[in-house]
Amino acid sequence: MEATLDSLALGFSVAFRPDVLFYAFLGCLVGTLVGVLPGIGPLAGISILLPMTFGLDATKAIVMLAGIYYGSQYGGSTTSILMRIPGEAASVMTCIDGYAMAKRGRAGAALTIAAVGSFVAGTMGVILLTVVAPPIAKFALAFGPPEYTALLVLGLLFLAYMSSTGLPRTLLMAALGLLLGCIGIDVMTGHFRYSFDIKELGDGIGIVPVAVGLFGLGEILSTPSNRVTEKVVPPRLAELLPTRTEWRQSVLPIARGSVLGFLIGIVPGSAHIIASFLSYALEKWVSKTPEEFGKGAVAGVAGPESANNSASTGAFVPMLALGLPTGPVTAVLMAALLIHGVPPGPMLVNEHPQVFWGFIASMYVGNLMLLALNLPLVGVFVTVLRIPYAYLYPLIIMFCIIGVYEVNHSIVDVWIMLIMGVLGYLLRKFDFDPAPLVLGLVIAPIFELSLRQSLIMSNGNWLIFVERPIAQALLVVCVLLLGLSALSLVLKRRDWRAKLAQAEAGDGTGRD
Amino acid sequence: MQLRRDHVAGTVMLLAGVLVLAASTDLPFGTLASPGAGMLPTVVIVLMIAFAVLLLLAAGASPPIAATDWTDATHAVRVVAVTAAAVAFYIPLGFIASIALLLFVLTFVVERKPFFNALAYSGGATLLAYLVFGTLLNAPLPRGLWH
Repeated sequence: MEATLDSLALGFSVAFRPDVLFYAFLGCLVGTLVGVLPGIGPLAGISILLPMTFGLDATKAIVMLAGIYYGSQYGGSTTSILMRIPGEAASVMTCIDGYAMAKRGRAGAALTIAAVGSFVAGTMGVILLTVVAPPIAKFALAFGPPEYTALLVLGLLFLAYMSSTGLPRTLLMAALGLLLGCIGIDVMTGHFRYSFDIKELGDGIGIVPVAVGLFGLGEILSTPSNRVTEKVVPPRLAELLPTRTEWRQSVLPIARGSVLGFLIGIVPGSAHIIASFLSYALEKWVSKTPEEFGKGAVAGVAGPESANNSASTGAFVPMLALGLPTGPVTAVLMAALLIHGVPPGPMLVNEHPQVFWGFIASMYVGNLMLLALNLPLVGVFVTVLRIPYAYLYPLIIMFCIIGVYEVNHSIVDVWIMLIMGVLGYLLRKFDFDPAPLVLGLVIAPIFELSLRQSLIMSNGNWLIFVERPIAQALLVVCVLLLGLSALSLVLKRRDWRAKLAQAEAGDGTGRD
Repeated sequence: MQLRRDHVAGTVMLLAGVLVLAASTDLPFGTLASPGAGMLPTVVIVLMIAFAVLLLLAAGASPPIAATDWTDATHAVRVVAVTAAAVAFYIPLGFIASIALLLFVLTFVVERKPFFNALAYSGGATLLAYLVFGTLLNAPLPRGLWH
């Protein structure tokens, strides 16, 4: 514990540097805007701004990009409460009771409860991350190629199991992502794969054009401007402070949401979305007045908002400690670290302590900044919401083009982005979730390398994956997950994932 | 038999898988002890085909294809066409001209905003972006006509 505190002190010495503070603030501000604005989610925001971090060192880059991620969880609640539009998918559940509170003239109180809940959950999440990540990283040092292969398979299966679109669809998307990840020169043999004499494809397909296309442009194509409302229920800022009863009603939901969110965050999948949904269900279940839900229940705002923030922090545990992205956002953040020459994983704590601990310490500071940003500046964000979408989306397309082009100064990348935008639009029409595709693309090189190394190590013996205890345990969990999925398919049971799909579809916006 | 959404999705994925598998014949699979460049792609394509078949088998439970809402398609096609033109002209015309045209056409033609509003918006936003990215952040934006 003492060693952890010493390391955290090192982290704070990095996080309190004026330049790091500036980029943390910038990330939080942009994240809040990304969360507030309908039509652009955290993944698109991070992907678009990723190339802008190339001139920065790894610490500043990851601090800023992570700030966008957890900042968007704060900002998403503003549109949910004031407009009944989730600025970010994880805020879908906040729409229900947040907007009902706003209609009753309690918009200010709902915004404060959402911001304080997000702050408490975010901070609790970072404390848990501080305690949990280093021991997991230490344990993961025992991992060899077979364990990594099993872990990546487990990650994909978890994602598929947690997905609201169903196992075959999710795995189909993951397979497509893995296939896209195979494009380019094979690093072990030098063979060109699927490059069709286009020299730019020799290095493979980058994550930025794919993520920006699928989530940025794809979202714009699915959102015609005439369907985006600019109607805002104006908050009574004079009533920003919740009453004593409202505070009392929010304490336990915030605590429960924080713990639940963190635990779900560690598991692969769209954790922040699932966490807010499950937290809402939990609060309704434990409530003595469940009939109040949907009519402005304070717990219906406090629980889900806390859970989605805590989950976004929990998602950093497998990314930092194992080098395993649990969703598309952590996949892009991982790609950002790799671009800066800092591979995430068990060696990160020892090899780059300044990045690891600086990043964690910056999240404590970032959560404070977000609390300070979100409440006093809510009026500014409401003004931003009034920008007509017809003027907003052309700007987003401009940022997409600049962002993608600046990665490699390659126009081929911009064309890939455009193709991916069209693909993203079509995938949404056919109810496919593009997130597993991005995840597959990111893990493809690591997966292929560890799979081939395992086979070479064992002289072609597949049993290497079941003879080693850690790999064996991971594969047993994989089999259990497949069994559970098959069971729900056979029984055609309508479980929480079906309800989540319905809730996500019901919002009509489908943000990433 | 009514054509359903997953009939179309499954068939497209199945065909894509078969086509890519056919394009992978020149990649060496290798052996288990010495896996070649074609091993992972082949395994992944076979899985993709298998999942597409699963999708087709369960397609009866999916909504009819006619129920898919395509009312936003016209808008999407216009946006894609204008963006494609901007990408095509991005290098030859340069950042300022291509992006200003992109913004103007999207706001004036696609969104039918007033001419002078669209003109001021596209000019102002492009110049601001050029100042921020090209001047402040030193990003090498294509100069095209101004080269």
